[in-house]
Amino acid sequence: VVDQIKLWQLETERMETIPGFLFKDFQDFKEYNDCSKYADEIGVLQWKSDGKRTFFVTRHEQLRDFIKSRKAREAAK
Amino acid sequence: MPRAIRGVLVKVDPSIKAIIVNIDAENHAFIIEDLDEDHLVIKENMVSVLKGRIDEILAAVLTVSNPNGAESDSDY
Repeated sequence: VVDQIKLWQLETERMETIPGFLFKDFQDFKEYNDCSKYADEIGVLQWKSDGKRTFFVTRHEQLRDFIKSRKAREAAK
Repeated sequence: MPRAIRGVLVKVDPSIKAIIVNIDAENHAFIIEDLDEDHLVIKENMVSVLKGRIDEILAAVLTVSNPNGAESDSDY
């Protein structure tokens, strides 16, 4: 039992916490895919799920600008 | 438009994640999104409270599992 508790304590110490932003509710897979790829390229992507079309980033400013310019490009088509 | 929600990504062992989900079930004060078996997003201002609660629960497990206190140490 004591060994088990020590193990758990190690696990809680290993608990990693990363402040940032969860991005979700993309209108389609392409929008999700473009944005998550861009987030990865600029080094802010921490977690993603293609199935949930959801990802987590450490910073959102560049990504926000990317989403805006992407929208503008799509609208211009 | 996609939504961006501010929070803290928690990467943790599935056994500890299960404890966090149980704590949150009481009043849903911690979890913003349950991502997968070892990832969650929780509210930024609740991180230290959550760590405290996990420590309490692990301490309680120790007490229950070892009701005779120090005496049972001789068994090991």
